[in-house]
Amino acid sequence: MCLSEMKENQKGLIHKINGDSRFVSRVVSMGLPPSSQFLVLQNDGRSPILVYSHDTMIAINRKECSQIEVAIA
Amino acid sequence: MRTIALLGQPNSGKSTLFNALTGSHQHVGNWPGKTVERAEGFFTQGEELYRVVDLPGSYGLTANSAEEVVTRTYIEHGYADLVCIIVDAAQLERSLYMLADFAGVKSPVMLVLNMMDVAEQKGKKIDVEKIEKLLDIPVLGFTASDLEGYPKFFETLNRAIEKKATISSDKIRDIVEREGDKAGVANLKKLENLIANMKFGNREKFWMASKLLENDSLVRSEVETAVTPEHWNEIKEILDSEGTDGGLLTGEAKYRFVSEVLQDASSNDEKPVKLSRFDKIATHRIWGKFVAFFILVITLAMSMMIAVPIIMGCFGLQSVAEPYVVKMCESLGWWPSVASFVNSVVIGGLAVTVAMMGFVFAILVTFGLMEDTGYLARSSYVFDSWLSRLGLHGKAFMPLVSGLACTGGAVCGTRVLDTRGQRLFAMVLLWSIPCGSKVAVVLFLASVFFGSAAPLFGLIYVALIFASFWLSSKLFGNKLMPVKERVGMIMELPPYHKPHWKILMKTVARNVWAVFKKAILVIWVVSFIFWLVSYSKDGNVEHSVLYTIGNAIEPFTQIFGMRWQLFISYLGGVFSKEASLGVMSVVFASTNDAFSLVSRNAAGANLGEMMRAVVSLPEALAFIFASMFNIPCVLAMGTTYRETHSLKWLLTITGYYFAISLGLAFIVYHIALWLL
Repeated sequence: MCLSEMKENQKGLIHKINGDSRFVSRVVSMGLPPSSQFLVLQNDGRSPILVYSHDTMIAINRKECSQIEVAIA
Repeated sequence: MRTIALLGQPNSGKSTLFNALTGSHQHVGNWPGKTVERAEGFFTQGEELYRVVDLPGSYGLTANSAEEVVTRTYIEHGYADLVCIIVDAAQLERSLYMLADFAGVKSPVMLVLNMMDVAEQKGKKIDVEKIEKLLDIPVLGFTASDLEGYPKFFETLNRAIEKKATISSDKIRDIVEREGDKAGVANLKKLENLIANMKFGNREKFWMASKLLENDSLVRSEVETAVTPEHWNEIKEILDSEGTDGGLLTGEAKYRFVSEVLQDASSNDEKPVKLSRFDKIATHRIWGKFVAFFILVITLAMSMMIAVPIIMGCFGLQSVAEPYVVKMCESLGWWPSVASFVNSVVIGGLAVTVAMMGFVFAILVTFGLMEDTGYLARSSYVFDSWLSRLGLHGKAFMPLVSGLACTGGAVCGTRVLDTRGQRLFAMVLLWSIPCGSKVAVVLFLASVFFGSAAPLFGLIYVALIFASFWLSSKLFGNKLMPVKERVGMIMELPPYHKPHWKILMKTVARNVWAVFKKAILVIWVVSFIFWLVSYSKDGNVEHSVLYTIGNAIEPFTQIFGMRWQLFISYLGGVFSKEASLGVMSVVFASTNDAFSLVSRNAAGANLGEMMRAVVSLPEALAFIFASMFNIPCVLAMGTTYRETHSLKWLLTITGYYFAISLGLAFIVYHIALWLL
């Protein structure tokens, strides 16, 4: 499943990041490398999604979320 | 002299440290040949002079944006004697990624764990000594905003300089070998073999190989020229087969390295993470936007309350000083023109500049506070969807809205944006956004000529502003913010902090002073030119150079529907918006003492009536529309010059706005002639 399908307060694991290397390096350096755990703080179905991982609150556009494959942890 | 490079992620407190270290001994310019801001400063410790280079903030060392290329190039080639990596102790795992990405660069390094106070409040326990032992480099835990902690900083700095400790990438390589998938590890080893014969300079082989795997464009082109074509083909094959997996392999290993270091050295008894109640509202799709407006207006208003007495006092002093100047000149037997010059140009220019600094001050304090507290990121979050259509980051919202208060001040506020391209583009847009005085002048003129239809002009104005945004993004957007460099919003919302008043105020004061110095020069020069050309011995404007020039260029300006009086008023609008009314009173009524009306921003008593009598409706329309997109004011020119560090860009933006305002006047005038 992709990140935007996760519900609020669900915990997940990053599985794979698709896209060009710019995007991958951005996501990794922001704190969401593969196999890291995260918590979905907010997903209202329209605004960008808020997740928490590696001590950091990160906002990600919904379109970009579809490139991030996750699994529920 | 020793050079220290500050390397850290955004929000790590890098600039706080930079400001505290260098104080007023700073120089901000551009990196040679690059459109990236270069900030460096100096301080002395003992006998030694240090140069501090504040590298543009970046989340890692992979070079994507122009800013990141600057940071990365500076670091990898070892231009600094010491690299000081600053990380946020409250977000240790994430921000130590920078250190992991740095490992393998052979420059001496020290690590600063900043914001230890916040980390403590969050319930984090960090064993600094243990981290130092594990990494074998000097490590300091401190709080950059606490000036009492600096002796310890210098002590660690000295240790770092003596020790010249570096961080090797061996541990990360071990992790990749141990944990990575077999195919990836095999590819990495192949890459290492293929590049084994090239020169690595200041970098380890693994660092180069892993940057290759991450598809880093700088390393790719470096390797391409260094190895044989056969080898390069093999390398390309490997990279193509890896795709983005390579970057994930090394990225994961770097984070694992960080968590292995922190495993025993830091402990968390953090409460379960939850979105705070305030954040729930502040990041809400609808309420968040209201909150942003509200906070912006309130903070601006509060900072203006500090600035307004200074502004009023300044104008008060101006009117007190003027009679004295006149008397003094009389008693010294000087020409009255000297008094007129001192009053209008020297004192008048000073008063206008100081008054405008009030706005600059208010905007800088407001933005400083928002950045410092972490709120700015929330407002960017809620407005990103609007601004990304223009190619801008959500952060641009605050400076753009403050443009309604003062264009020149808001230009300084664009500093919150991360890349220079974004800043320049925001400045281009800002010049379209009318400040209060511009709105007042446009509506005043509209009501003089069109009475109750004036509000209609307000609506047309708003539509035109959006049209000009569109035009600007077509003309400048892709050049300043290349589409391929844009990444959809992936943004950190930093934890809230208490503002660091002392450092904030010092930084603001220093910036206001720097802006003032540039602005006063521009204002004096422009006022002097205006004074000179509008001067005539008997005070009659028809005997001034202005009149002669005006008459000479009239055939040209008439293309835009402006007879010479109107065109000169339009140029007066460059000085300040109200000045264009002042100029009108002068040129239409031939009143005495032309320039004093201009410098006081005053309109003659019956300006409206006078103009209605002589100016035709098409001419009036042309002038009103030209005023809408005229150069905002001299201060805006001054601050744009100071913030871009580039005369070329100031002239480009100025020329662009002359072109659109006159172009608009041309169109409107000719349509009106045809219709009316």
